[in-house]
Amino acid sequence: MSRLPLCGSPFQPLHAVGARFDTPDALIAAFKRLRDAGYTAVDCYTPYPVHGLAETMRLPKSLLSFLVLGGGLTAIVLALSMQLIPSNLIYPIVVDGKPTGLAGLPQYVPIVVALTLMIGAVAAVKGMIILGGMPRLNHPMLAWDLFAKDASRGFFLAVSARDRNFSLGEVSEILEDAGAGDITAIHLEEPDSE
Amino acid sequence: MSASATNETETPDLSAIARPPQVLNNRGPLWVTDAVCSIVEGKTPLWWYAGITVSGAFAAAGLACILYMIVTGVGVWGSNSPAFWAWDITNFIFWVSMAHAGSFISAVLFLTRQKWSLSVSRAAEAMTVFAIVCAGVYPAIHIGRVWFVWFLFPVPNNYGMWPNFSSPLLWDVFAVSSYLTVSSLFWFAGMIPDLAVLRDRATTKIRKFCYGVASLGWLGTARQWRHYESMYVLLAGLTAVLVVTVTTIVASDCATSVIPGWHATIFPFYFMAGAVYSGSATVLTLLIPLRALYPQLKDLITPSQLEKVAKLLLMMGSCVAYVYVFELFCAWYSGNAFERGAFWERFHGTAAWYAITCLTINLTVPQLFWFKRIRTCLPLVFVLAILCNVGMWFERFMIVTTSLLHDFLPSSWGNFHPSIVDILTATGTVGIFFTLFLLFIRFVPVMSMNELKAALPGAQPQHSGEEH
Repeated sequence: MSRLPLCGSPFQPLHAVGARFDTPDALIAAFKRLRDAGYTAVDCYTPYPVHGLAETMRLPKSLLSFLVLGGGLTAIVLALSMQLIPSNLIYPIVVDGKPTGLAGLPQYVPIVVALTLMIGAVAAVKGMIILGGMPRLNHPMLAWDLFAKDASRGFFLAVSARDRNFSLGEVSEILEDAGAGDITAIHLEEPDSE
Repeated sequence: MSASATNETETPDLSAIARPPQVLNNRGPLWVTDAVCSIVEGKTPLWWYAGITVSGAFAAAGLACILYMIVTGVGVWGSNSPAFWAWDITNFIFWVSMAHAGSFISAVLFLTRQKWSLSVSRAAEAMTVFAIVCAGVYPAIHIGRVWFVWFLFPVPNNYGMWPNFSSPLLWDVFAVSSYLTVSSLFWFAGMIPDLAVLRDRATTKIRKFCYGVASLGWLGTARQWRHYESMYVLLAGLTAVLVVTVTTIVASDCATSVIPGWHATIFPFYFMAGAVYSGSATVLTLLIPLRALYPQLKDLITPSQLEKVAKLLLMMGSCVAYVYVFELFCAWYSGNAFERGAFWERFHGTAAWYAITCLTINLTVPQLFWFKRIRTCLPLVFVLAILCNVGMWFERFMIVTTSLLHDFLPSSWGNFHPSIVDILTATGTVGIFFTLFLLFIRFVPVMSMNELKAALPGAQPQHSGEEH
C-alpha cells in the first residue's frame, strides 16, 4: 500500500501519519503547507509551548478563564451562605459583641476569599485536565516508538487518517517536501487478546 | 533616538546592560533535559541515604512525641498559664510564613515576567508545600483533644452546633487549607509536562507506570499547551493573592485580640515581610547545597539567580527591621501604660533573651547583603541564611509568647519553659521538612524543564504564525 515505515499493527486501521521536525520553524512551515492543501485534522506535539503555534493553528482561546470565574463565583455564594445562614439563623453566636446580620459582613470576608481562591484553583487544574483530553493511560500516538521516546526533544506533527481530504500519498509528499524526518504511518495497536 | 541616527553610528555595546543568561555555557535543550532527569534517573548517592536517615529519625521522634502528647494531654508541653500559646503556635506561624517565599517566587515573579526565577521556582514551590505540611501538624494537635477537631469544620451535626465564623482562628482553618490546596495544585500542575518527560525516558515498567499515571497521559499537543499556559497564568494569579491573604489572616489571630504586643494594625504587613524574608532564606539554604551536591545544576542555578534571591532577602529583611523600629516607636508614642509595659518587659523580662536574639540577628544579618562580596560568596550566604531563619523563629516566639507573658494584671504575668516534648516536636517538624525535600529531589524533576527550554535562546520560532 505504501512505502512508509509503519508502526502499530498493519492489520488495524491507519490512525495518522506522523513526522518529526528539528525546529519549531520547520513544524510551523509544514503545518501551513498542510493547511493550504486543505487538511484540517492536523495536530502538533511540542516539548514546550511554542509561541505562535496556537495562532497558526487557529486554536480558539482557552475557555479556562470562564471556568475559573464560574468556580470563583460559586465559591463566593457558597462561602457566604455557609457562614451567614448558620451564624444568623440556625446557631447565632455573639462573642465580643461582634455584630450580626449585614453589619457583620466584614467578618465573613476572609473565608470568602480563602474559598474563592481554593475553588478557583481546583477549577483551573481540573479544567486544564479535562479540556486537554486527560487523564488517559494510553494514546494511539504512543504506538510510535520514536514519539514515545523522543517527545521531549523533537517537534512532531500528525495528520489524522480521519481527515476529509486524507490521502496517504499526498500527505507524505507534502511532509517530505517540508523537510520532515521519520515520516511514519501510525496504525492502531492490536487490542489485547481476550 | 531616531532610526537614522543608530544606522550612522556604530551599534552600541549592550553587553553591560544585557540580562545574564538563564542557562550558562550555552547549553541546549537536550542538555537541560539530561541534566535535570539525571538526578531522578541516576544512582541514589550515599549522602542522600545519610540525609534521609538523619531527617527521618528526627521526624520519627517528632511524630512519637505527637502521639505521646495526644494520648497524655497537652500538659506534656511547657505551655501553661499565662502562655497557653507557646512553641505550638510559634512553630505554626514560623512554618506557614516560611512557605510564602515559595509562592512569591513562583507566582509573583512569574506574573512580573522575571525570567531568572524559572530555575528556582519548582524547588521554592516544593518548599512551600512541605512547609505548609509542617505548619499543619500544629493547629489540629494544639487543641488538646484531637478527636474534636471536626468542631472546626462547618459540618451539620446532631448537636445542632456550628463554628464561630467571626473568629480569626476559624479563618485560619480555611486560609491554611486553601493555601495547602492551591500551592499543591500549582506545584503538581506545573510538573505534569516534566513528569511526562520522565515517563518517556523511563526504562523500567514500574517507572513507566508510575510516571505515566502521575503525568495523566500528557502528550504536549498544541491544544494541551494552550490550556496549560492559560491555567498556569490563572493559578499564578490566584497564588499571588494568597501570598498576601494567608499571612494577613494568620496575623489577625493576634491583631484582633486586645493583648498588648499583639493588638496592632501593622501585623498583617509585619507577618508578610517576615514570611518572605524567612522563606527566601530557606530557598538559599536548600539551593546552595543542592547545587553543590549535583554539579550538573551549576549551569542552571546560576550565582546571579542566587544573588537575586539574596537581594529579595535583603529587601524583606529591611522591611522587618522597619517594623521592629515602628513597633517600638508606637509602643512609646501610644502613651499606653500596658503597651509600654509589655515592650519594656519584652527586653528586660525573664524571656528577654528571645527578643534580644531576634533583634540582634534580624537587624544585622540581612543588612550584610548590601555588600556584593558577601552576597556572592555562596558558603557564607548559606550560613547567613540559616542564621536568618533562626532569627525569624525567635521573632515568632517573641511575638506570640512573650506578649502573653506580660499583659494587664500582674497576677497573670508569668514565665515559660519548653519541655523536652516541645523541643522534640519542633525538631520533628524540621525532620519532616527535610525528609519530604529529599524525597522531592530524588523522585521528581527539581526544575521546570519545559519553562527552561522555552526560554532558551533559539527555542522560539523566528517567524511565528502570520496571525501572531
